[in-house]
Amino acid sequence: MSEVSGVWADLVGQEPTVAVLRTAARAAAARLAAEAAKSAGEGAAPSQPAGRSGMTHAWLITGPPGSGRSNTARAFAAALQCERQGCGECTACRTSLAGTNPDVTLVRTEQLSLRVDEIRELVRKSAMSPVGRRWQVLVVEDADRLTEQAADALLKSLEEPADRTVWVLCAPTVEDAVPTIRSRCRLLVLRTPPTTAVAQVLQRRYAVSPDLAVFAARASQGHIGRARALATQEEVRARREQVLSVPSKLRDLAGCLTAAASLVELAAEEARAATAELDATEKAELERALGVTGSGGRGPRPRQLQAAQKELEDQQKVRAKRLQRDALDRALLDLVAFYRDVLVVALGASAELVNEELRDDIERRAHANRPELILRQIDAILACRDAIAANVAPLLAVESMTIALLEPTRR
Amino acid sequence: MKFRVDRDVLADAVAWVARSLPSRPSLPVLAGMLIDARDGELLLSGFDYETSARVQVPAEVTSEGSALVSGRLLADISRSLPAQPVDLTADGGKVVVTCRSARFTVQTLPVEDYPELPEMPTASGIVKGDVFANAVSQVAVAAGRDDMLPVLTGVRIEIEGSAVTLAATDRYRLAVREFSWTPEKPDLSATALVPARVLADTAKAFASGSDVTIALAVPGSGTGEGLVGFAGISGGTMRRTTTRLLDGEFPKYRTLFPPEQQTVARVETAPLVESLKRVALVAERNTPIRLTLGDGQATLEAGSSDEAQASESIEAAIEGESLTIGFNPQYLLDGLGALEAPVAQFSFTQPTRPAVLTGLAAADAEPNTDYRYLLMPVRLQN
Repeated sequence: MSEVSGVWADLVGQEPTVAVLRTAARAAAARLAAEAAKSAGEGAAPSQPAGRSGMTHAWLITGPPGSGRSNTARAFAAALQCERQGCGECTACRTSLAGTNPDVTLVRTEQLSLRVDEIRELVRKSAMSPVGRRWQVLVVEDADRLTEQAADALLKSLEEPADRTVWVLCAPTVEDAVPTIRSRCRLLVLRTPPTTAVAQVLQRRYAVSPDLAVFAARASQGHIGRARALATQEEVRARREQVLSVPSKLRDLAGCLTAAASLVELAAEEARAATAELDATEKAELERALGVTGSGGRGPRPRQLQAAQKELEDQQKVRAKRLQRDALDRALLDLVAFYRDVLVVALGASAELVNEELRDDIERRAHANRPELILRQIDAILACRDAIAANVAPLLAVESMTIALLEPTRR
Repeated sequence: MKFRVDRDVLADAVAWVARSLPSRPSLPVLAGMLIDARDGELLLSGFDYETSARVQVPAEVTSEGSALVSGRLLADISRSLPAQPVDLTADGGKVVVTCRSARFTVQTLPVEDYPELPEMPTASGIVKGDVFANAVSQVAVAAGRDDMLPVLTGVRIEIEGSAVTLAATDRYRLAVREFSWTPEKPDLSATALVPARVLADTAKAFASGSDVTIALAVPGSGTGEGLVGFAGISGGTMRRTTTRLLDGEFPKYRTLFPPEQQTVARVETAPLVESLKRVALVAERNTPIRLTLGDGQATLEAGSSDEAQASESIEAAIEGESLTIGFNPQYLLDGLGALEAPVAQFSFTQPTRPAVLTGLAAADAEPNTDYRYLLMPVRLQN
């Protein structure tokens, strides 16, 4: 394992992928050097067939949520822009990672899907020469959210982009990209980072106590962003505790319905907390960019302000909806992990428990219930996720789930 | 930063830079205009990662410095100021604009977040502003508008010594214009593919000035690759703009012009345009107009027997065999308009092969081959 530094330092537990990307970045740099030498007329450039095969113009990075897909894409973009293939210190590296490099376009959506007009704009960009002297990197962070039309619009350019354009798409699994896109990209699979690696990063970067770091790494099941939130934010831990208290509340029908309502409310609250501040900042930023001074309407109000504000508000509404959905989904996954632990104990498997701190409750349940029932409970939660993804009213889906989770022995 | 500048000079310069600012910036700082005051002059710049604009104007600078403010707002303010000298002062996080008794306070954006403007490419030459604007407008009309085919949304510029060729096509028509310029080095050879919309806007902006400098990168020189730059003096101020090039293979268009012709028709442009507009009224969307040439007449027809129909004949000088051919009326109108000549010459080989339009100064003059417009026919139903 080579020493991991520069832009790659924060990619936790992804050494094999990092090695592939470093080779690619080196090959890309070699190609630039060869082209420069050739066009400067210094005779035939030395051929580097081995180096060339490392680089390609379309990549698809997949991995479980939180494994760092978009961070990997950004690090790769930085390595392509950097004179030293990702030192992490030069302007090119810093701007690429921050998303302000003119040659690195990061496309993500906080909405439910990536629309075709956004992709059209991107395709137009893909035909441009880079602003700088290296590569133009187009990163689609949510390739799983491309609409069918948007995916179609992408195909031609993905297959034959301009000479210096590199596409990097990210999706949770390879099945999330349509086959026509999949077949045009080189696939890179990220793995779920090991708990110890995540805990180490938490300790190093956020200076949290070792116990808390291990807890957060375990509870997040390798989702780095989630682990960070758990490790650094008290209220995130509190919300998770509330979610995990749901199984103990499922004693009768009334309890099920109350628990369902509180789960949905919890998600809504989380989404509100996340958006309220963001919404206000974005509005202020937009107004400032369009030249409205903070002190209440001195100077003319630009004509396009209203249209831009309207657009922003619409986007914020859709985002709030998505965040609520995401929050609910996280809660359901925490519940899945809980019942998974019960199943682990019931079957006497030796796997590590996600919710080590709830071991007593877990063991009690494992002894009281047969594994088939526990499996059915897990299925009920997964069915609920599917229902919500298919646009069933969240409260209804969650109620149906909590009722299915009711254990017969207590009825 | 503190300086005083003439109101008209400021308004002109700011308006010109603000033109190229994005209306929906991807980063808030890109909506900003950089004001840089130093050494008796003012440098105003705007950049949206694709197009950069920079203008230099004389000013009485009392204290040097720079500030980034919302470009649109500054343009709106400077346009509405009374005709008096304007004072600008940077003060903490604000810029204060004073003119007579009018006083505006504008918030600044962080200068350190603003991207560096690209450098102008090195190799260049000079052409008259009006010639360039005219040539670009003649060619840009044929450029494609479909962003899914990015290469066709560009105008190809080919430079071979003192000859410049502009070409654009959207697959249905092709416009080619040749003109001469004065290159810095007589053996300059370069090509570029510039987004047509940007090129047309830029050329128009420089039309009133005397000379335009066009700068292209020499391959392998290192600076300004992937860029084209334009510079000119307009309204007494030095203006420079750069734009990113399209990357891709432009179709090999020179071979598309048919080597021989079987029918040549000369028609006065203005009457043909008028009659074409009339007849095209009954041509439904995506249906062609029919052009029949023979017996000293050009006959235009459109419509079908179960809908409305129209026909009109005008005088034409025809050599060679008579023929009937179908065209998209709008594409034909675009071509006739771009000829900018009193007489239009059509050259045909067959009704299924493209026709070439050229302009003539008079009915008996030689065709002007500086500008050629190649138009694909539409297959006629029976």
